[in-house]
Amino acid sequence: MSEATNETMCDAIRDALRMIIDPELGRNIVELGLIYDVSVEDGGIAHVTMTTTTRGCPASEYLKEAVRNCVWYVPGVEYAEVRLTYEPAWTPAMMSA
Amino acid sequence: MPGATLSRWTMSYFAAACVFLVIGQGMMVSGYGYPFADIGAPATLALVHVLAIGWLGLLMVGALLQFVPVLVAAPLRAGRLALPALLLLIAGLLLLVGGFASLGGTPGMAPGMLPFGAFSLVTGFGFVTIMLASTIAAARPLPLPARFVAVGLTALIATVLVGGIFTLVLSGALANDTAIALLLEGAPLHAALGLGGWLTFTAIGVSYRLLPMFMLAPDSARATSKAVWWSGVVALALVAACVVSIAAGSAAVKWPLGLAALFSVSATLLYSTDLSRLFRERRRKIVELNILASYAAFAALLVSVVMFALPVTRSAAGEGAAAVVYLFVFGWLTGLGLAQLYKIVPFLTWLECYGPVLGRAAVPRVQDLVRERRARLWFCLYYGAVVAATISLFADNPMAFRIAVLAQLGATSGLLVEFARARELSAVAAPLRFPAGAPRPHLFLPISRPQE
Repeated sequence: MSEATNETMCDAIRDALRMIIDPELGRNIVELGLIYDVSVEDGGIAHVTMTTTTRGCPASEYLKEAVRNCVWYVPGVEYAEVRLTYEPAWTPAMMSA
Repeated sequence: MPGATLSRWTMSYFAAACVFLVIGQGMMVSGYGYPFADIGAPATLALVHVLAIGWLGLLMVGALLQFVPVLVAAPLRAGRLALPALLLLIAGLLLLVGGFASLGGTPGMAPGMLPFGAFSLVTGFGFVTIMLASTIAAARPLPLPARFVAVGLTALIATVLVGGIFTLVLSGALANDTAIALLLEGAPLHAALGLGGWLTFTAIGVSYRLLPMFMLAPDSARATSKAVWWSGVVALALVAACVVSIAAGSAAVKWPLGLAALFSVSATLLYSTDLSRLFRERRRKIVELNILASYAAFAALLVSVVMFALPVTRSAAGEGAAAVVYLFVFGWLTGLGLAQLYKIVPFLTWLECYGPVLGRAAVPRVQDLVRERRARLWFCLYYGAVVAATISLFADNPMAFRIAVLAQLGATSGLLVEFARARELSAVAAPLRFPAGAPRPHLFLPISRPQE
């Protein structure tokens, strides 16, 4: 996969993730800075590293599952792997204006 | 992934707690218990326990089953004990109230119900302690909010055990001199451990996590927060030492309680500075109603603790400082409880209904499950009524007290309707209300899978 194609797919994934809102804040998880990293390997294997606003949040598993479902439906993605991390911990400074 | 999930029985705990809150306030409106009876009268004891165990105790346990896993970022342990604990606590409370009623001369009840009620309560709270303590014990290092809860649970155990001894004496099953001395002199200590140690210390701990979470404020443990913990621990240790001293047969001494009051004031003042800082440093500029109503409760905490520590106001507050205790129970603990329910009920409802379809369908925000305008009026009426009831107790005017509690009951009922509307998703716009695949929440019974 060319670098340009890879970059396009990552952008498509980020765009798709904008439909997922944080239930408490009502803003999408990309704008909130909850998506730390998106990458796509050859063969359409997508890796997303994400966090939640609060460690141990009861919504964590739902958010993770929602991201997995969402990424899976992006054209060109054959497999989606989502990793939840709290390193670094999310802070409000990570929100985009 | 370590973390918390939905607590299966929390909503049932909340529903039972709300029923007991309505019953307790209804008892006061109908002239049952203090100030229509003595502070130590059986009717007052029945009323106090309906509110302390039925309302505040069940509310706190329900909230902790959901939020202790959030505090330690680990799943709840032994979660299958949640339902048996709820049933034991309700049964124990009903037996206890029946026993108190028999002491007041109600036919068909027997004093022997008291120790059976206490046994049921000890077992129920024992199950609660097993679930929460084993969850907390698995976390290392222990975050500060969880340390508050750990101390609160210790105070709960002490409260319940002392209360259990009281029931043995009151029912005539135990006539030991030490136990009798404990009953005669230890009732205020039992109340201090329950209201101050178990309910207040735990509520403070949970607030250190929930407030930053809902306001987007920095939640690092500050030196002042640690000082709140240490001051509170010293105050509770002094109260516990007085209990031990009475149980050891020593003459009751007053100075440790005076010192405990000073440490309580110090803890409350430090806590107030933390609350003020959290509010100032919040990143979320819109202040939701649950936060505003919580800060009204914090004000009631500060005022009631300071008034309790000042001899002038304490002695003017009536038998057993009743007016101040009323402000503490209804302004602080109940006010905070209702304010947090106003957020937690829609939050858990959202998770139950919309969590499973997140990312597959458009969903509302948690805030879309409530309509703040009506609830704002109920909270204003509630706090106004609490202030009026407190003043009427200071003024020794039982009729004014009754009217104020009636207004309080009306406001509480209005808020309970708002909670039910949130459960029924009444405020959610029709196109978003039930996306395909979204489970419909029950009013107070679980629909989610158990945690274990």
